Amino acid sequence: MSASSVASHQAEVAPPSRWRGLLRRHATMPLLLAAALLVTYLWLRASKLDDIEQRSLNAEHLLRVTRQHISITAMTTLFVVLIAVSGGILLTRPVLRWLTPYATALANVGQATPAIGLLVLLSIWLGIGATTALIGLVAYSVLPVLRNTIVGIDQVDRHLIEAGRGIGMSPIAVLFRIELPLAIPVILAGVRTALVLAVGVATLATFINAGGLGGLIVTGIKLQRDPVLITGAVLTGALALTLDWLGGVLSDLLRPRGLD
Amino acid sequence: MTDDVMIELQHVSKSYRGQQTPAVEDVSMTIRRGEIIVLVGPSGCGKTTTMKMINRLIEPTSGRILVDGSDVTSLDPTDLRRRIGYVIQQVGLFPHMTVATNIGLVPKMLGWSRTRIEARVDELLHLVGLEPGHFRNRLPRQLSGGQQQRVGVARALAADPPVMLMDEPFGATDPLTRDRLQNEFLRLQEKLQKTIVFVTHDFDEAIKMGSRIAVLGERSRIRQFDTPEQLLSNPADQTVAQFIGAGASLKQLNLRRVGAIDVDEAVLVRLDDTPTSALRRLDESGEWAVLSVDSERRPQRWITARDLDPQQDTLDGAGGPVTTVELHATLHDALDAMLASSSGATVVVDDAGRYRGVVNIDRLMRAIAEMREMQRNRDRPVTESPEGTATRTPPTQRSGIPATGDGESR
Repeated sequence: MSASSVASHQAEVAPPSRWRGLLRRHATMPLLLAAALLVTYLWLRASKLDDIEQRSLNAEHLLRVTRQHISITAMTTLFVVLIAVSGGILLTRPVLRWLTPYATALANVGQATPAIGLLVLLSIWLGIGATTALIGLVAYSVLPVLRNTIVGIDQVDRHLIEAGRGIGMSPIAVLFRIELPLAIPVILAGVRTALVLAVGVATLATFINAGGLGGLIVTGIKLQRDPVLITGAVLTGALALTLDWLGGVLSDLLRPRGLD
Repeated sequence: MTDDVMIELQHVSKSYRGQQTPAVEDVSMTIRRGEIIVLVGPSGCGKTTTMKMINRLIEPTSGRILVDGSDVTSLDPTDLRRRIGYVIQQVGLFPHMTVATNIGLVPKMLGWSRTRIEARVDELLHLVGLEPGHFRNRLPRQLSGGQQQRVGVARALAADPPVMLMDEPFGATDPLTRDRLQNEFLRLQEKLQKTIVFVTHDFDEAIKMGSRIAVLGERSRIRQFDTPEQLLSNPADQTVAQFIGAGASLKQLNLRRVGAIDVDEAVLVRLDDTPTSALRRLDESGEWAVLSVDSERRPQRWITARDLDPQQDTLDGAGGPVTTVELHATLHDALDAMLASSSGATVVVDDAGRYRGVVNIDRLMRAIAEMREMQRNRDRPVTESPEGTATRTPPTQRSGIPATGDGESR
């Protein structure tokens, strides 16, 4: 990855050049997204929208569903990170090691079940609404983060951990000063995957009345209104790519220096 | 137990679940304050396991281990390890922390103030021969293997622990660097007087580093626990003899250091002397060559009569190359240097590289003869134990050590 080779070029890099490197690596995506949104906007403005389309495609409604979508995704990410990272940490402790295969299997079930099926099953059990959607989405996106946390911690050189213990670091200090910092890039890669998954799957939340951009897509299909469908799809795609981009920037910023 | 004893292993065993034979079986050993004990044996013999039980990275299945009088199992492992320095072959510097942070970790955990940690880091970097201003803020990746291991040693010394455990610390470096690190470490140890348990599979390293050496067989059983001199001249059994390998007498050259033998004086000339005056001095002395030194008295070149060109103003660049050995180098190193040098002699220098004298092959032969003489005296049944060779070990431990180690004599 060119990102790491630039970041690790010199430890004494002055801050400005680090920012310049970030800018160079991450400037393209926002420009592309802005262009896509602008084109969609111009196209919508140029076309004649009928009554039904206008009900969906006005600033107020679009903002509301986008905000809903972002908030579902954000909540999902928050819970996924809390559950999966702490779970991954626990599962890599020697005492709980034996549990790891069972936990990954469980997380696999969550992800392997078709998302819409999972949401419907959950809504039969828990009723419809945002909470149910959140639980479904969390179950669906926990796996990549959990697996990457475990892998990320496992790939830390055993000798470093032994050296840490050997010089008298407490187990907690070894975790927070060695294992986690060195696992951060891998964990963040998992979070990025989970985020993008969550944005996509959150479009299904509309089926159990939890709102979000999925509503636009469903309306567009059911009422055969292409502008509505396309707007929903473009906004969902743009959101997913924006979050992926943010994840990339974040993992560059948090990458521990000194790694190859 | 006397005050003299720093570490004691009492019938220590370690077995792993699911394995028929124990990894370590019934090892007993007493280690005195200020000694370097080398555990040497073939790979997989359990020497590392034995060492790691001392700082409880591995818990013994049975037996007791005492460090400075207290049973290690009664201590909090983290506290225990902060009082025991730890150096491993893979160095284990944390790649995401600077050299200074790596070294300062333990002091920081011990709650030292920032200024005290900074001062300590600089002191330690100096100690291991790294310029603090240059290395303090570097990342481990930016250091060579030898520099990394120096930092590893500095980190282990950070909280000034009385005991150090070293697991093949120089094993991953190239022979030249290893040699230098070994010499530097021995010099350091002379100042620090730590109690050190040193694990290696390299018998030559064991001879060079150890005050006493425990040759371990399978399951870490002690085959012989003795001084290097005794091991070389009186191996306890065939296996030990095999392990020592061929050339035991040549290896005895590793037992004496250049600083411990008499050196000759060379005829010195300064680089800014004229060839004419150098030629005069050469003629007066009757030697085959003069040695040119710079203003710091660092040896430069051997200059023979043939190299002297009266047309030149100074001696700069004249003559043939010089090989040098430090005072801490072994006679083996000196022999090596002599063979590499066209002059058949090597120049002895101090820590700063300044001229101290010259050793040639005759000197070396005389030193070897002395060593053999001493050995003969020791092997002879005498009532008084000879102290002549006890330069590397406290004299007290000379007497009464049986040819076989403590573990075998139970």
